[in-house]
Amino acid sequence: MASTWFCAPAPVARRARAWFAPVNRAAQTPTLFDPSEQGAFNPDSPPSPWVSLGWIQNLARKPLSKSSPILTGIPAAPFEQVRETLEAHVSLEFLSWTKLTMALATGSQHMNLLAPATGGAPAADGAPAAPAVVPQSGSTATSILLAPTDAAKFTPGAIVAVDVDYTGQTGFLGTPVAGAYVRSALTDVNYIRRITFNLAPVSQVSSSGLTLAEPLPGGAPASGQKVQALLGFVDREGGSFYQEWSALFLLEGSQRDRIFFYYPRLQTMIGAEEATFPLNGKNQIGLARIVLKAQFLALPVTDPLDGERVVCYRSFLPAPNALV
Amino acid sequence: MQNAKDSFYIALRARLTTINPERTILIRGAVRPGILVEEAEAPFGQLPNDVFILRWLALGVDMDLASTMAAEDCEILYQTCGTQSFGGLDRGRALSEMDEEVLAMIEPFCTPKLNYTATPPAAMLTQVFWDEPAFAPIVVLRDKLSRSARVTVYSYQEQGE
Repeated sequence: MASTWFCAPAPVARRARAWFAPVNRAAQTPTLFDPSEQGAFNPDSPPSPWVSLGWIQNLARKPLSKSSPILTGIPAAPFEQVRETLEAHVSLEFLSWTKLTMALATGSQHMNLLAPATGGAPAADGAPAAPAVVPQSGSTATSILLAPTDAAKFTPGAIVAVDVDYTGQTGFLGTPVAGAYVRSALTDVNYIRRITFNLAPVSQVSSSGLTLAEPLPGGAPASGQKVQALLGFVDREGGSFYQEWSALFLLEGSQRDRIFFYYPRLQTMIGAEEATFPLNGKNQIGLARIVLKAQFLALPVTDPLDGERVVCYRSFLPAPNALV
Repeated sequence: MQNAKDSFYIALRARLTTINPERTILIRGAVRPGILVEEAEAPFGQLPNDVFILRWLALGVDMDLASTMAAEDCEILYQTCGTQSFGGLDRGRALSEMDEEVLAMIEPFCTPKLNYTATPPAAMLTQVFWDEPAFAPIVVLRDKLSRSARVTVYSYQEQGE
């Protein structure tokens, strides 16, 4: 007789995958993940606005909430428990170096190394940048139309940042991703493009503009946004800004079962740190992979279901045909 | 466990026909994809060149689980002398090509478990899954290059197995 159910042992997974999404810092509003509606998503095509950070390793969740008993009677014995503090840490290692993984693995703001202007004075986080250019109307997320003289300033393979000029704003800067917090007005007109996450590599350059290798995360350039080339990234140990993102981790079991860890608000809690892993376990001093280490502090949200303050949601979607 | 072995073999065979449809073997009068299970064929006096041979080796089980998990080691053997048109001087390239085909066949690292004793094959409830292959060094025997890759294939025992 054919069976229709099986007893599923503990899930077996290869590695964890991670997705991050912006938190509205001013309103402290995270990106929501609903496992009932979105739990079956294709890992290669996550629901918007989640951004894939690929495979991660050594994912470790550490609950640090403390409970204490309320004692009654003589001799005193626990009568009830109360939760005194609510805290959790998450640590992991990113297996790739990208704008977002670097930003998440640093305890401060993460900056774009803008292409310098000719003769600019050297600076540790990049010399004064070459002037930004204005995209023409009709530009899209993957195609930036430019005047021919502006297009000639870019080369295939370059990376471009697309965002607005800095005009003296203070507070959290960057939309929808807050990339920095400015306490007093600065003088660098390119500051927002230094900290923006709205980047894409250039695949082709023509006299009419740039074709991008991947869509700009922010979509088609909006009015007021300008384009600037960048050479790489730079971050610092120190500063007062903490990255904060919504995070989603998936352990996909061998039987198509899924474990999700959804952290509505994660703040980076350590400075930039790397770890090395020898490619050949028998040759510890040979070639080694350099991975980004990250550690986060989970911040609470209030669950509208019942008003409880929580820092993480763990969801389990059992394997098809598995007994529960 | 036989269902897991069959499912693993059929998955790799199906993938090979997509990766390199020209890798075939004429065996018992039929042209088949160039991947065979050694224990399911007549004994070979000498392993054929330019095809993949699956050889099942060690078996381990973990019975302290809700469903018993079986771990079976599968050795994928392959060898080549290169092509006649190049006088065998391309044997290194031919072996590299087979290395790449092993990597391509192995991924994704799972396949549904089917019972191939039924016609048509009956889908079972669980998936067969495996880890990355461990490639052994090349063995040189005169003009022949051979290599093996070892994969541990895991599966859960279902009712009736």
